[in-house]
Amino acid sequence: MASINPNDIESIEVLKDAAAAAIYGAQAANGVVLITTKKGTKGATKIRLSVQEGIVQPLNLYDVMDAKQLSGIKRDAYVNAGLNPANAATTYGNPEDPNLVSYDWLDALYRDARLSVYDLSISGGDEKTTFFLSGSYTDQEGQIIQSDYQRGTARLNVTHKPNQKLTIAANLSLAFQNTNGSIDRGNFVNGPFVAGFSARPNVPIYNEDGTFAPYPSNHLFGYNIVQGVNQELRSGKTVQTVSNLQLNYQIAPWLSFTSYFGVDFSDNADINSRPSTIPVFSSYGGGSVFTARRNNNFNTNQNFNFNKKFNDVHTVSGVLGVEYKSAQSDLQSATGRGFPNPTLIYLQNAAVPFAVNSTFTEYKRAGLFGQAKYDYDDRYTADVTVRRDGHSRFGEQNKWGTFYAVSGGWRLSSESFLEGVSWLDNLRVRASYGITGNSEIENFASRTLVGSGGQIAGGQYLGGGALTITQLGNDLLTWEESETINLGLDATFFNGRIITTVDFWRKNSQALLFNTPLPVDSGFGTITRNAGEVRNQGIDIDIQTTNIIAGKFMWTTGFNIAFVENELMSLYDGLERIGNELIVGKPILFAYTNQYLGINPANGRQMFDDGTGTGNYTYVAGESTLGYRGSYLPSSYGGLSNNFSYGPISLEVFFQYQFGNVAQNGDIYNLQNWGSGTGNLDVNQLNYWKQPGDVVAVGRPFEGGQEPGTSALNTFSTRILSDGGYVRLKQVTLSYNLPSAAASKIGMSGANLFVQGLNLATFTKFNGIDPEASSILVENSTFGAYPNARQISAGISLNF
Amino acid sequence: MKNYIKILALGSALAFSSCEDLLDTEPKQSLTPATAFANATGYESLIFATYAKLRSFGYYGQTMNIAPEIMADNLRIIANTGRYIGQEANADRSHINLWDFNNINNFRGVYSGINEANIVLSEIDEIPGDQALKDRLKGEAHFLRALFYFDLARVYGYEPGKEVNGWNQSVVIRTEPVVSFSGADLKTRSTNREVYDLIQADLQTSIGLLPVAAKGTANVYRASKAAAEALLARVYLYDSKFAEAAAMATQAMATSGLAIDGTGLLTPANYVTAFSTYPNPESLFEIEIRSVDWSTVDGVNNSMASLTANVLPSAQFILTVSSELYTSYETGDIRKAAWTETTRSGATGVVYRSNKWLGTKGDFLQNIPILRGAELYLIRAEARFRTGDEPGARADLNGLRSKRGLGAVDGGLAGASLFAQILKERRVELVLEGHRWFDLKRNGLPISKAGFFEAVPYADYRLLAPIPQDQLTLNTALQNNPGYN
Repeated sequence: MASINPNDIESIEVLKDAAAAAIYGAQAANGVVLITTKKGTKGATKIRLSVQEGIVQPLNLYDVMDAKQLSGIKRDAYVNAGLNPANAATTYGNPEDPNLVSYDWLDALYRDARLSVYDLSISGGDEKTTFFLSGSYTDQEGQIIQSDYQRGTARLNVTHKPNQKLTIAANLSLAFQNTNGSIDRGNFVNGPFVAGFSARPNVPIYNEDGTFAPYPSNHLFGYNIVQGVNQELRSGKTVQTVSNLQLNYQIAPWLSFTSYFGVDFSDNADINSRPSTIPVFSSYGGGSVFTARRNNNFNTNQNFNFNKKFNDVHTVSGVLGVEYKSAQSDLQSATGRGFPNPTLIYLQNAAVPFAVNSTFTEYKRAGLFGQAKYDYDDRYTADVTVRRDGHSRFGEQNKWGTFYAVSGGWRLSSESFLEGVSWLDNLRVRASYGITGNSEIENFASRTLVGSGGQIAGGQYLGGGALTITQLGNDLLTWEESETINLGLDATFFNGRIITTVDFWRKNSQALLFNTPLPVDSGFGTITRNAGEVRNQGIDIDIQTTNIIAGKFMWTTGFNIAFVENELMSLYDGLERIGNELIVGKPILFAYTNQYLGINPANGRQMFDDGTGTGNYTYVAGESTLGYRGSYLPSSYGGLSNNFSYGPISLEVFFQYQFGNVAQNGDIYNLQNWGSGTGNLDVNQLNYWKQPGDVVAVGRPFEGGQEPGTSALNTFSTRILSDGGYVRLKQVTLSYNLPSAAASKIGMSGANLFVQGLNLATFTKFNGIDPEASSILVENSTFGAYPNARQISAGISLNF
Repeated sequence: MKNYIKILALGSALAFSSCEDLLDTEPKQSLTPATAFANATGYESLIFATYAKLRSFGYYGQTMNIAPEIMADNLRIIANTGRYIGQEANADRSHINLWDFNNINNFRGVYSGINEANIVLSEIDEIPGDQALKDRLKGEAHFLRALFYFDLARVYGYEPGKEVNGWNQSVVIRTEPVVSFSGADLKTRSTNREVYDLIQADLQTSIGLLPVAAKGTANVYRASKAAAEALLARVYLYDSKFAEAAAMATQAMATSGLAIDGTGLLTPANYVTAFSTYPNPESLFEIEIRSVDWSTVDGVNNSMASLTANVLPSAQFILTVSSELYTSYETGDIRKAAWTETTRSGATGVVYRSNKWLGTKGDFLQNIPILRGAELYLIRAEARFRTGDEPGARADLNGLRSKRGLGAVDGGLAGASLFAQILKERRVELVLEGHRWFDLKRNGLPISKAGFFEAVPYADYRLLAPIPQDQLTLNTALQNNPGYN
């Protein structure tokens, strides 16, 4: 997706209901997004040139303490823990010291960055041949210093019709991407989104001579984050082509044959260099890791399409075809250490060839499908789809599954009894039912694998290669089947002034594919299995209205919202729950943790609900105090856009929103630990408990966070959670379309000027920087999630 | 047109008649168990993976050597990094987690090693291969399984006969290999007696199968007869089978060339440098570690050299010796050289860095001795004391002391004073090697620390580690240790 130039896209179609998605088979279990790229049209050659320039700014970052503030709370933390406050002063500075200097780590890391996008396309053609040729270049700096992204794309879409029956087409694209970046997620000392906030304000970033100052070794592993971001290289280069060849032969007016061959090939090379100038890497003279990945996807479709109209009102159409896809990925990496000079990073210069690795994985999928559609006078429609799919991921006896869908539609507005209703333009009801298959598991999940296991599980011993069972297989693994029912209504009123679509849907997923825990005393942690049944249901509403048309002024509104409910209905073997991960009657992704009850004013300790149902508190969290605390999945989400135009000027204002989910934020552990940790804190920690009777949100500072008789301060509880709902002013665009008369005077067919702002305002109760980026768990971490940036840009596009 | 249909029909028929081939894939960096474990060499590779478990930072690589020292009274924290803060305070649930450390690559805790040993033991007699190799592998599997269960038993349960309020639950026993997920059934904990019986039976079997390895040679990197005898002597001591402990210690000393006068041990000058000698000349069993076993940041982040010393750049140096221990060394005791005076920013006054864990194999790397000859003298001294042989106990202490720069103990040392001397001798000899917590616990002694921390009496629930929370909710047949809410 990242390899596609957005300006090359003609249309994006999202198919959610089973009947619409069924023809796409296994990859369609969670809906289908169809992206069609632009084609040329016959006639004069058209040239489009666009340029966009802008700035990228960090959103509202955490407001962290200065040295005086931090040294004050740290001194109390030491005193409360019975430690010598002089040691707090040595480490964090003395709050009474008038000469205590603060260093602004965030200012040294974050920046207002620049964004440039250039795009040029040429399209045209004649009776036989049309083409679309485009090139683009994007250069985007990140909000963190030294991070940037470049992308160049080239595309050629050609269609040629040598005769009336044959059409051949080629869609060729090539994209180059280059990323120089930072660790964008996870609680890593070299991740700027973590270390930037918690770096101690009393520690200088630079020495007086401008070199980087050493960072104290008992925090962030002694890693000066500004030095790290400047000197560690993390680059990734990807070359990717997504290309296909198609042939279409019109066998008869009602029958055609399409042959399609596509490749998605990417080659990716990462370099991570850790030079010896960074103290923590100096003991081994610095190191470099080179990683090369190659992904090779091939797919082909061979289809017959038919379409015949009888007696002017009966239309029968359909597809019969086969499909095949294979995907291989391999990886090679090599690590070298001991570079004679920190500017040398290539492995030829490494004194020690330290480690090598290579891996391979693949999957294959095949499908045979047929679809028949019937349409009576655009009034009644019905269609049937049947697929048989095979996937290499499943157990030997369970590779194949049969899936189908049926749907019907009735356009009431075409009936005579609604003919006289002038305010109703269109009214259609739809119903569909279908079963789709899901194969989203690891490529070899069904097999028991024996391998070296790597450093943790095996690797080597005494120079001999180790072998162990790296994965328990489950030969019974088979397709997850989703049974979907969809009832829909499409209606248009008042000459198109109101267009609405409403869908009621329910999706029962059986044989849910899930990584379930095993008792660790078996020697294994998890097994992928068909674990149970999940029900998703919801209502999707989409309303487009034209509110005002008054002369040149027009105001239109687009509004959509989806209400979603998610519930685990049952588990295998009649289980009610599997650990704290799956519980019948609950959603499939939820917070299961302690209930934080705030600070006891008597002693400044944190209290948890004791789990007895009496509302009593305890200082010690345990098995009995855990409970269900809400779903990580939103219960509703959508968007609202308003478009105001006056002649050639238009203004689009777009909000997006989601509600009903709790969100985890790992940053709270680091920044809101009441001064018990070793790093800097959010300024909201300043109003902390000092004496009995204080009613405050921040408890008694205690170095180490381990007051006797209590659970560790950073015990996971609802203290870390917050309401993940938000409303975001996602986009505002003001644009001016040069009237065509004026444009032609200067030799153009059209011109457009625009100013655009992204992520301009956010309304949320979320306790972190960006609810859009942080509210979802990625790889189980919500630490230091890369927040979206505010972006303000201006552009011009010219058509010749 | 008909031709096209024919071609397509034929094509798809061909394609789908051979559809099994069509979906054939190969995990090229992995084998099936049948291919991998077809002969003795395959099982040797499996045993190598089992040895590799011992070097985990959640096990002997760090936790098993450090936590029993800081949870007891040998170490103190001089810089807060969040690590071992709870253990120093003996806080609720801050203990040792051998059950499910390392949530990586589907490998967790000590039990993955137990399963590997079980695979070897269930199959090794059935497969072709050199009988000597097969015997050795079988002996190693018994030895390693015993070590794993012993460590689990002393972390999660009381020693047999030392139960508080009759709580005799130990850990889950599995002796059958789990090679398919149907084998991963939910089990209950066995009793202390059952687990100790299994350990002792395993060690006795392994003694008959393992080769003899000369102490302090590269052969101690794998299990040997002396290693199994030494571990069994220790297990008997924990199990209050004192006569057996003394006899087994004697047998282990004979196997490893150690005499009662200390002959066979290091000369005093070499006590500290032995820890930077690979293998340690006193090692009966030692884990060899190579640089490929660690990620690029493991040295600074996780090594014992980084936690306990400041000699290498960027070392964390968060732990030092407790003043109570440091001042208890007798004059002339060469073992005091395990500590060197230094300072640390943020810590008051003089602190001491360790000389046992210095990472001298380069970049914080070093081997980890798990059984040393000196311990046999201490095991036998304690066992003899418990069986009423006080002169024998004193002789054992004196044999060890003669190689540590100290003279004989007072010939009249007896009773409680002699026992205290034995415990003290253990403390200074084995400091930073993960014994202190268990030595206090198995003798029913309270954990008392100087300064801010309240003493933990033997009957306190925090003596036993909690079973991991997610295991309790996954397997309701598993009971947690008493006192955990």
